[in-house]
Amino acid sequence: MGETELLRLLHLADSALPIGGAAHSFGLETLADEEDLKPPDVETFLTGYLEECGALEAALVRRAWRGGDLQALSEELSARKPARESREASLKLGRRFADLVNVMLDRSVLDRDLHYCIAFGAAGAVFGIPIDAVAAAYLNQSIAALVSACQRLMPLGQSAASRILWNLKPAIARTALAEEVFCFSPHLELASMRHRSLEIRLFIS
Amino acid sequence: MHLHNVSGGVLAGDRLSLDVAVSSGAAAQITTTGATRLYRHRAGSADSEQSARFSVADGALLEYFPDAVIPFAGSRHVQRAQIQLGRDATLYWWEVLAPGRLASGERFAFDRLRVETAIYTGARPVLREDFLLEPGRHDLTALARMSEYSYVASLYIVREGQPAALWRGLEDQLTRIAERRTRHGHELWGASTLAGDGVMVRGLSRTGCFLNEALVEFWRAARLTVTGAEVLPPRKIY
Repeated sequence: MGETELLRLLHLADSALPIGGAAHSFGLETLADEEDLKPPDVETFLTGYLEECGALEAALVRRAWRGGDLQALSEELSARKPARESREASLKLGRRFADLVNVMLDRSVLDRDLHYCIAFGAAGAVFGIPIDAVAAAYLNQSIAALVSACQRLMPLGQSAASRILWNLKPAIARTALAEEVFCFSPHLELASMRHRSLEIRLFIS
Repeated sequence: MHLHNVSGGVLAGDRLSLDVAVSSGAAAQITTTGATRLYRHRAGSADSEQSARFSVADGALLEYFPDAVIPFAGSRHVQRAQIQLGRDATLYWWEVLAPGRLASGERFAFDRLRVETAIYTGARPVLREDFLLEPGRHDLTALARMSEYSYVASLYIVREGQPAALWRGLEDQLTRIAERRTRHGHELWGASTLAGDGVMVRGLSRTGCFLNEALVEFWRAARLTVTGAEVLPPRKIY
């Protein structure tokens, strides 16, 4: 990968990318509110998250990078996300990501109605970035966003958050190679389904 | 219709298949005579397999309410279900997965369980679930998976061609039941609209005691809203 491609990937996977990622917890807010998820458990929780949801999304990043019918792929992923809030969050981030990329390039290269991981994989292909790097960068920013959500939901300091992210790098790199679409995360899905019932919410999902 | 496996359970290497076609305008309710017991794997045998295909024609109704699947210690099994719905066809479907023979202290002691469920209305995927559970490799008690709970239950309610507002209203209605039934640390329930044409209910529980009672309550509420008729439960104690 050349320096320009590397810099573009760093840009697209930057947690400061203005697409609204900080507004979503994907069910973590429920887990934190009910004290199922506490600071000492975050790294272990995210390891399990990577093995299930992370692997599913990495597989979809890779399929999108390879091309084909991205609309059909996005419809399939919608059917694989049974919790409405998390499904809608993924589509909303995908739309804002596509809008941003299209604006930056001043031409339309991404469809607006794709899930985030699919839009990200497609963008990686457009910019000629190698598939493994695209999938790893997607997962890294996704985990970084969840850690950032945890920092706002519980007493998790910056150093502890950085250490968690650092420790998860090998798991992220391993998960980025996933090709299978298995995902079993009923407790997290229920947390997302039940998020709407929380009395006070910081996050949209 | 009651499905009955005369061998008492699914043995290593078994390959069972079921094809169900519900004709246009017809209504069918299918249940089982007891839990599906998945027996211990035997060296040299293939994983046991159950494949079911359901075709629900235009305007037809399918209700599929099997008893729980119980994967015994050391079992290896693949379960596949594909449901195809025609125009204005309706589906009520539940499934319950037990952790093993819990009364004998057996929890997540099976080797491997693969579950694939796909529901389509026309060419549109409404629900795709693919689980690969290998407790020896991936801890099922992880917070993202089952946490402290042992049973997982799902109810799918699908009817092709209904407006999105109906499903959002049903999500609200079933969420109120879910909130009332949820006792954190004992059982959790939630409801959500699907990607299209339906709603699902999911539950996690430490025991199997009240699962069927809860599923019947969700089904009753959904059936009154979606079909406009009271439920007719199978002849069992719920």
